[in-house]
Amino acid sequence: MNEEIRIIERKEIPKGAVMLFGFPDVGLVGVIAASHLISELGLEEVAYIDSRLLPPIIVLHEGLPHSPVRIFGDKRILLAVSETALQGELIYPIMHALIDWGKNREVKMMISISGIPVQDRQDLEELKVFAAASNPDMLKMAQDKGIEILREGYMVGPQAVMLQYCATIGLPALTLLAQCFFQYPDPEAAAKVLEQLENFTGLKVDVSKLLEKGEEIRLKARDMMKRTQQELAKMRKTQEYDIPLYIT
Amino acid sequence: MSEENLRRRRSIFDLIDEYFEGLEAWAERVRETLLERPSWNCRTCTIEPLRDIIVTSDEVIVTVDLPYAEENTVQVKPISKDTIEVSAKMRRKVSFDDFGITHHRGEFQRFQCRTRIPVPVYMDRIEIRFKRGILEIRLPRKHEYEIPIE
Repeated sequence: MNEEIRIIERKEIPKGAVMLFGFPDVGLVGVIAASHLISELGLEEVAYIDSRLLPPIIVLHEGLPHSPVRIFGDKRILLAVSETALQGELIYPIMHALIDWGKNREVKMMISISGIPVQDRQDLEELKVFAAASNPDMLKMAQDKGIEILREGYMVGPQAVMLQYCATIGLPALTLLAQCFFQYPDPEAAAKVLEQLENFTGLKVDVSKLLEKGEEIRLKARDMMKRTQQELAKMRKTQEYDIPLYIT
Repeated sequence: MSEENLRRRRSIFDLIDEYFEGLEAWAERVRETLLERPSWNCRTCTIEPLRDIIVTSDEVIVTVDLPYAEENTVQVKPISKDTIEVSAKMRRKVSFDDFGITHHRGEFQRFQCRTRIPVPVYMDRIEIRFKRGILEIRLPRKHEYEIPIE
């Protein structure tokens, strides 16, 4: 276990669950999707991160303090979510600690939920979901479900660290990325990626409320999006638009 | 550090790099300071919307996220040669209570923001469209000089 980051368990952790990640990124797709999963599936907080590497922030709910990075779950899934924008330098230690913890709890698969920014997003009627994976079997599984593969390009952020680290330690992992706004909260993209998630978790999630509350979510998520924009700029997130020089 | 390294460090290119790195760091600090303010104003009952600016070779595109905005109330006013003001009325009043916040009091029913355009543009040739709650403002760039190619 990473000594600088402690994961404090509040409940018994089931074995063989699918571990999901919803971290602040473009369009806040992961965080919006995670928030919807928690309320729709009635997930409970099962663990949280305690670390001096995190900024001195707590999140107050009903007057009580909570860590900004928590794990929710039930018998089937474990969902790591951050309620604050994470600085680039925290992403490696936090993701490695969470993945090591998940591996020790014998999770069968890790899935990161996020977005892929697209120009003129407001003109798109139908959003595509792309996938990238930590190994060829996971990639084939995504292809078999009809998900387009992100073949070439750069990936920046928690999902990049997750794929690389899971590939290194031999844990099956997948990143699902819905086309989204770069700078604005995108509940429609979150709904789209949740629809695809069912293919891998077997969990049917009704996204109708998420779509109905779209404008309310966009309004509520403004401040978090603004903080996330600042961190994405420091992380050079726009590199995802770059065309890579492919070296075999 | 070897003598050769010292000599290399003092080259004009290093000094220029250091100058620009310093300038970038200063600009970052200023930007962060300016961003560090609430995104709402209880006195004017307004909310500051999220916005973005893209500068291309021939135009500047400003987008503004305006959820709940009534399309026919969206206004874009040039208020100087390099600044525009955006305002829009919301279809419903929003209060801090709606977000579960009880330690602030206030109701909001309007978006308002001012945005500085970073390059010269023709304010009189402004084009506006509103789709999916996103306001898009296009301003053609003014190219005040050209460098002749010999």
